[in-house]
Amino acid sequence: MALFIYGTATNTGKGFFTAEDRRNFFLRGYPGNVWVVGNTEKGALWLAEKNGVEKTKAEAQAIVNAEVTAAQAAWDALPEEQKNRPGSNQRPTAITLP
Amino acid sequence: MTTYNELAGFRVNYVSSDPTLNSGNEGQVWYNSTSGTLKALVQIKSWASGGNLGTARKQFAGAGTQTEALGFGGEDATVISTATEEYNGASWTAGGNLATARYTLAGAGTQTTGLAFGGYNNVTYQVATEEYDGSAWTAGGSLATGRQALIGTGTQTAGLAAGGYNGTTNVANTEEYDGSAWTAGGSLNTARRYSGSAGTQTAGLGFSGNTTVVVPNTEEYDGSTWTNGGNVNTARYSPAGAGSQTAAIGFGGFSTANTGATEEYDGSVWTNSTSLTTARRYIAGCGTRSSALAFGGFTTTVVANTEEFTSSINVTTAAAWAAGGNMGTARRDLGGAGTQTAGLAFGGLTTTNQSATEEYDGSTWTSGGSLGTARREIGGAGTQTAGLGFGGYTTSTSGVTNTEEYDGSAWTGGGNLGTARYAPAGAGTQTAGLGFGGAVPSASNATEEYDGSAWTGGGNLATARFRLAGAGTQTAGLAFGGQTTVSLANTEEYDGSAWTAGGNLNAARKGLGGAGTQTAGLAFGGFTTTNVANTEEYNGTSWTASTAMTTARRYLGGCGIQTAGLAFGGRTTVDVANTEEFTGAFDTATASTLTTS
Repeated sequence: MALFIYGTATNTGKGFFTAEDRRNFFLRGYPGNVWVVGNTEKGALWLAEKNGVEKTKAEAQAIVNAEVTAAQAAWDALPEEQKNRPGSNQRPTAITLP
Repeated sequence: MTTYNELAGFRVNYVSSDPTLNSGNEGQVWYNSTSGTLKALVQIKSWASGGNLGTARKQFAGAGTQTEALGFGGEDATVISTATEEYNGASWTAGGNLATARYTLAGAGTQTTGLAFGGYNNVTYQVATEEYDGSAWTAGGSLATGRQALIGTGTQTAGLAAGGYNGTTNVANTEEYDGSAWTAGGSLNTARRYSGSAGTQTAGLGFSGNTTVVVPNTEEYDGSTWTNGGNVNTARYSPAGAGSQTAAIGFGGFSTANTGATEEYDGSVWTNSTSLTTARRYIAGCGTRSSALAFGGFTTTVVANTEEFTSSINVTTAAAWAAGGNMGTARRDLGGAGTQTAGLAFGGLTTTNQSATEEYDGSTWTSGGSLGTARREIGGAGTQTAGLGFGGYTTSTSGVTNTEEYDGSAWTGGGNLGTARYAPAGAGTQTAGLGFGGAVPSASNATEEYDGSAWTGGGNLATARFRLAGAGTQTAGLAFGGQTTVSLANTEEYDGSAWTAGGNLNAARKGLGGAGTQTAGLAFGGFTTTNVANTEEYNGTSWTASTAMTTARRYLGGCGIQTAGLAFGGRTTVDVANTEEFTGAFDTATASTLTTS
């Protein structure tokens, strides 16, 4: 059985996930409203209750990749002065889902 | 039907409400007339996994406590070992090697005053004694009888050796160590090897073990004579023991198979307790009855597993982050102040520098008065109704000196910083503020103190840095993380005039959030070579990893205290509005309802 469930859901703010949720199952958020949830009854129920759309790992990774690519393009378009300023954002790097 | 009065000799308290649930009432039974239930405050016992030994091994010795333990000698997968390892409650690190490699030896004492004696090296039944000082072993006085698989307990200057196997037969003789020499004591009633041990030289305990069969016998030593005590429930050989003669714990060993059975002794009776997760023989142990440590041993192979036994009336609820209300404006590089239920976010960057202020009430962000000067990478301190914003980046490459004070509805100008900077950290209050570090545009070590109207110079940080986090007060400040040209783990503590080194973060990073005090700090999120969600808690000495945030991000805002932190905004691949609320781990004592079934 796979360790995780992948899906997209919109973070509605307060109560979207609770401390109890965090204690009950694995939960991580990623760019593109992608959420990785522990593959347990409670994890699956959480994603369903948040009107989440379940994705395959490849589909979820593709969404994250698209977000990273867009962020990289935005960074590449920055003026050199802004890129080189001390403390400026580094060029976004790839994110690999667990 | 037997009544509790007949069984226990006294009546159950009849009360209208539960008593205070603390250790003073541990073990109490009462009848709650309001709920109509019979209740008790009982201990909750559990084994939890600890850090693995560096080298899996069996038939070695242990000493010390659950958080300051020592394991030494034994046999690993290939050789008889001289290795010593030291445990700090989380992980094992290498210590000094024994002079004489041996297994089935005995151990006593503490992590910094250890004692090793007896054992076997496949050639000689050892008489050698060695004393540990926390880093190296030196020779002590020799046992009169060379032996392996012996009972061993006590301290470095008051050790006890009894029983074991001398290569020909099981022996019963006892020897007592005074820090330099062994002298004869009273003999065991039952000669045996591979018993468990606990207690002291004058109040020793030996239990179970092997004659020609496994035996359940317990014997108690008073400094001169062994007398029989209560039998263990599961006879076994090569268990480990810990605790005292009247409050002991025994675990592991081999009965008819490897066992994880744990039993607790009260000076007369052994009671079954929670079993080890990994059943094993030739295990080592140390600690106390309520706080024991089990490590190493043999399943079908040598193992490195460590398990920690806890007996408590409290249930610990793990720390966790929960979603809070989303900010009205997603942004990064913002300032923060206040608490988890009265937070303040101001300034920052979207596509442009922001002046917007938002106030958090524990569930919702609402708009507050705007900063006079829109800026990002602003320093923050104070509270929701008495906030302080200083420095930051507008268009000047060296940052700005502007300070603004918030009264719960509007920002007004305060005294300018002495040094213009951006990405500093802040601590303290609106009338006793602290600003430190930042970029000018190179990394700065400058500290300034605010009195409500003007900034004056304070002691310099040892490590210049920017994009760091801060916490605490003007006279007890905390600086951690940040960057020079690389991300930093350094922590520094301020006493009102000078910074001194504190414990390093486990994960070096910049652009992190911070909260809390100098002795109870909280670090979360940030950037290493990627965005991270790591959370760490500071106790005034060292940082310990805690539950990670749900969304990894950098350049976020933070406020609150170690047990109630708030993280908001920041950047993943885009600027985000997410808020997360941290609740630290907490203990709860819970009364159990008793039933008749």
